[in-house]
Amino acid sequence: MPIQTPGKRYGKRLEKSKVFGHGGLAHRSMYADLLITPMVDMFVIIVLFLIANFSATGEVLMMTKDIQLPEAMNVREVEMVPVVMVSNDQVLVSGTVIGRVEDLSREDYLNIPALEEKLREMKKQFEDLHSLAKDDAGGFKGDVNIQGNKDVQFKIIKRVMFSCATAGYNNINFAVMSIGTGKSLEEKTSMLTK
Amino acid sequence: MAGGMDLGTGGKSKKKPLDATINLVPFIDLMAVTISFLIMTAVWTQIGRLQVSNSGGPTDPNQQEEKEKTVPLTLLITDKELKLTAGDVTFDPIPVKRDTRGKIELDKLQAKIKEVRGKLPDQTAITLQTEDNVKYEDLVRIIDECIGSGLPNVSVAAAMG
Repeated sequence: MPIQTPGKRYGKRLEKSKVFGHGGLAHRSMYADLLITPMVDMFVIIVLFLIANFSATGEVLMMTKDIQLPEAMNVREVEMVPVVMVSNDQVLVSGTVIGRVEDLSREDYLNIPALEEKLREMKKQFEDLHSLAKDDAGGFKGDVNIQGNKDVQFKIIKRVMFSCATAGYNNINFAVMSIGTGKSLEEKTSMLTK
Repeated sequence: MAGGMDLGTGGKSKKKPLDATINLVPFIDLMAVTISFLIMTAVWTQIGRLQVSNSGGPTDPNQQEEKEKTVPLTLLITDKELKLTAGDVTFDPIPVKRDTRGKIELDKLQAKIKEVRGKLPDQTAITLQTEDNVKYEDLVRIIDECIGSGLPNVSVAAAMG
């Protein structure tokens, strides 16, 4: 059976009818032209939008369902440093569970020994790696990000902060969801000084 | 002639036509590849950081001179009130009020910090003494408010007693 043009197909009797069949009308072309211009316009807009939203730092923090970050406006750009995750149930460092929040809130110690040990180990690894590479400029700065759930009590955060400081991580940063203008604190301060 | 421009369609001379068609296919291919790459690498959540320091950490000796122009500014945070102290002066406690979404209202605190900053323009540091049962979200909101009000050096400490 030959390939037919899409559309209505009448029986033999009506095929040549001027009203129903193709008798009166010229044959339509089988090729429809796609309108390229609006498609190219749309592509350009999508590319520009995505480039405007592009972040060179990538996804530094792993977002999980258990941790809902608090919101803040006057924020700095987040950097690639060790992350201590504090959810309602547990404390984690680089995916390793350090302890359960329930147990930690029962204890009266100021630090979390397991966290301290893990952070010391990470610090040593970092320093060894940089000394092997003879990289003096990228030395250990003691930065750490705390990615805490907004409902966690300060009692836990306090212990995490103390453990970080004891392990040598003195520059503590709280990870937050950026709201408002979308400009970083550096940009805001530079705009104010101009 | 079309609109004053010779399109090269008329005349007997064998000139090349000026209206060349641009081949859009490679352009569309490039766009498709770029869009795929950008969508795959896109970060949809805007995450930032608030820098804080542990109270009682090492101090810079160069800051000694600046200290003379400032006072120790402390904010005691409990789940019921906020108590601001600037040197020997203790301000009236601000009761903690929350809006419909459960977020702490900080208009009064902002006004008090502005008052202090008006008297001590060189003041950049504040210590937040936080009680154990304060929610992390409230602490972050207060830190954000302090930074926004011109006190970028925020230290966090545990409340005594």
